[in-house]
This record gives sequence, structure tokens and C-alpha cells, in this order.
Amino acid sequence: MIKIEARLFATLRRYRPEVSLNEPIVVELAQGSTVEQLWQTLGIPEDVVKQTFVNGLQADRSTTLHDGDRVGIFPPIAGG
Amino acid sequence: MPISVYIPTPWRRLTQGLGTVEANAGDIAGLLEALEASYPGLKDHICNERGEIPHHISVFVNREEIDALQGLQTPVRDGDEVAFIPAIAGGAVTLSQEQIVRYSRHILLPEVGGRGQKKLLAAKVLIIGAGGLGSPAALYLAAAGVGTLGIVDGDVVDLSNLQRQILHHVDDIGRPKTASAAEAIMAINPDVQVVPHQVILSSENALEVLSGYDIIVNGCDNFPTRYLVNDACVFLHKPLVDGSIFRFDGQVAVFLPGRGCYRCLFPAPPPPGTVPSCAEAGVLGVLPGLVGVIQAVEAIKLVLGIGKSLAGRLLLVDTLPMEFHQVNLRRDPTCPVCGDHPTITHLIDYYEFCGVPGPGH
Repeated sequence: MIKIEARLFATLRRYRPEVSLNEPIVVELAQGSTVEQLWQTLGIPEDVVKQTFVNGLQADRSTTLHDGDRVGIFPPIAGG
Repeated sequence: MPISVYIPTPWRRLTQGLGTVEANAGDIAGLLEALEASYPGLKDHICNERGEIPHHISVFVNREEIDALQGLQTPVRDGDEVAFIPAIAGGAVTLSQEQIVRYSRHILLPEVGGRGQKKLLAAKVLIIGAGGLGSPAALYLAAAGVGTLGIVDGDVVDLSNLQRQILHHVDDIGRPKTASAAEAIMAINPDVQVVPHQVILSSENALEVLSGYDIIVNGCDNFPTRYLVNDACVFLHKPLVDGSIFRFDGQVAVFLPGRGCYRCLFPAPPPPGTVPSCAEAGVLGVLPGLVGVIQAVEAIKLVLGIGKSLAGRLLLVDTLPMEFHQVNLRRDPTCPVCGDHPTITHLIDYYEFCGVPGPGH
């Protein structure tokens, strides 16, 4: 198993409403898991528009995650 | 007896205070080189980046303007009197005494100085949206002396705007936002020329509106305009300083021509109704102040050519824990608008109410 730290931003926070102050969500995943599996574990629907960054670098659904990775997931926002 | 050269007051700090200096040269171009060798920095004050003498500076040889002679090739010989006379009246050309006082805290900064201040006064920045983000951006850019500020907004001021849109005041309710923005800006700095664009941007007018500006600061409040402005900036090769807000979250990014765009990050807007607007979800009133001011800082850095631009990064502003996260952006070669084989080659009007739930939600 690997442990990664995930943060959800803006509209995506609704999938983890219990998390206060955007503290990292620690997620345990099987070795070799990808970003797509992290989305599923966090309960973020497939069709929600989002971008995922692993350790500050843009990733895609097939990016493999490693123990200790820090993942940020955020949606487009448009308010002004 | 060498050539005698008259130096106008604003440049005398480069000539140890001397109003007349001497040099030897065969023509005006050579004279500029000789002056630069003796008084480093002087040529930069006289010539533009292309080494030409701009229209607002007149050069006289024995009281004859060189434009009527042979321009930079006008011959000069020993005993001639040459004078460099910049136009005095305000603007970006020469700082007036009042401007020197007004911008003194800028001029003190070596990274800005008189030259940088003149760049600011010559700059043309377009602010899209005179709302939460556009208000602080406009006020700070105006105070900083950005010479031309275009303001695009098709809306009128509403009481619910005043919680965050600091360009507007109680008496402005019901007035066009561009009108109240222009007044607020002029009240802070009459040096600024405000160009009001009381329009809703669309594929019909966006290229025309944006084309007259050096830098675009996007503070609009909806996805259709955000994508429209991004695409227009790509087509026009304009730097874009993008900002957006939602509840307690903000995002800021700078997109420079050829180095990626908003669509490299989010290729298409989310389907209408899937992302609530601030009108539905609410927004912390101070948040756009924070984000809009970051946009203003980035715009000023671009004008001055100083520091490290936010280009290539996205800044995520998270105000509740007060954390700033940044992620690295890259140009996507498959981007539909700025990629290697773009599929979007003209402006698109997206569904105008996208971001706001349609009927039935």
C-alpha cells in the first residue's frame, strides 16, 4: 500500500465536506495506483472537469502515484 | 572646439548636473554614442529600443530640427550647438514636478526609477470586468500611474456589488460600471486616461476591443467570457493576467504568447450549470481584493520587465487556512487553441448563461 496526501480545491471540496481548512486528506491506495483510482477513492465523478497536480506538476488520469506524493485537484472557477 | 550639447533638466542627473556638455562626433548618431560613453544611460533616455529618436523628443543642430535635415545622419562639426528637447506636457515623456512627487516612492526603487515610471505611464492595460477583481486591479494600476486603462463592463452597479467591488459607491447604484469606474480612477490619479468599454464582450467585438492594449487583465465573472478572452489573447499574441474566485478560493495565472494558455489547463468550459457562480455560491468580499491585487502586481512586472513572472505557474489562493499553493503549468501541444494543430481558429460564443444553472436546477 502507498499513502498519498490529497487536497481538493474550490467546488471539489464538496466531495469531502468533513475536511476542515483544506488539511491534506491521507489516502491509502494499492501499489501502482493511478490518478484515476485516486479520483474514484475520493468520490469525484468522472465527468467533473478538473486538473490534477502531483508534487506540483501537471498529471493526467494515468499518472502512477507513489508513496508520499502530494496531490492537488482543482476545478476551473469563473467568479470575478 | 568640440560640439556643445544642451541637456534638459530631467536628464541632468546623468550628467552630474551639467546643463551643457561637450562631445566630438561626425553626425547625430555618433554624437549619441559619444554621449553614452561619457554619460552612461543618457542614450536610453533619448532613444527608443530600436535606437530611434521618438517623436516626442526634438533634436536641434544650430536651432534647426534634424527631421528637416538628415535625421540621425545629420552631420555635426566642431563648434556646433546641439540641443535635445523633450516635450514637456505630462504623459509618458518627461515627468512633471508633480509626477516626480506623486511617483517618488516608485522612482526611489532602482527596479522602477524614472524610466520604469515612464514605461508605466506609456502602458495600455485593459481590465475586463469592473467587478470584484477589476476594482482593486484598476485602482492600484491607476495609482501606480499606468497611463491608459481600458475598462470593459456591460453591467450597472447593484447594491450587492458593494460588498467587494471597491470601484463603486452607494451613489453609483444603477449607473454603468464603466462610468463609476472612470470617476473613481480619475479621483485617484488624473494622469490616467480611462477608456470605458460599456459592452458585453462577444466574438463580434473582442478582437477589436483587446487589440489596442499591451496587457489584458481578466477579472470577468463567467466562463464564456473567460474562454473568449483567452482565445482572443492567443490570436492577438497578448499577455493575459487571469484571475478567478469562488467562495474562499482564488486562482491566478499569467499566460504569455507562445507559452501556453488557459485552455492548456482546461480545454473547454464546464457544462452549463455544473459550476455555481459567485451569485449562487457566495464569495468572501476581501478575496477578490487579494487576487485582483496579485493580478495588478503581475501586470506591472510585465510592463517594467522586472522580477519573475507568474507565467508558467498557477497560484491557488486558499484563504481559510491562508495558504498559497502553486503548480507548474506547461503549454499543451494538443491544446485546441494554442497547440501545434489548433482546432479553434476563430472566436466562439459559449452559451451565455453557462456557470449559472438553467431552468430546472
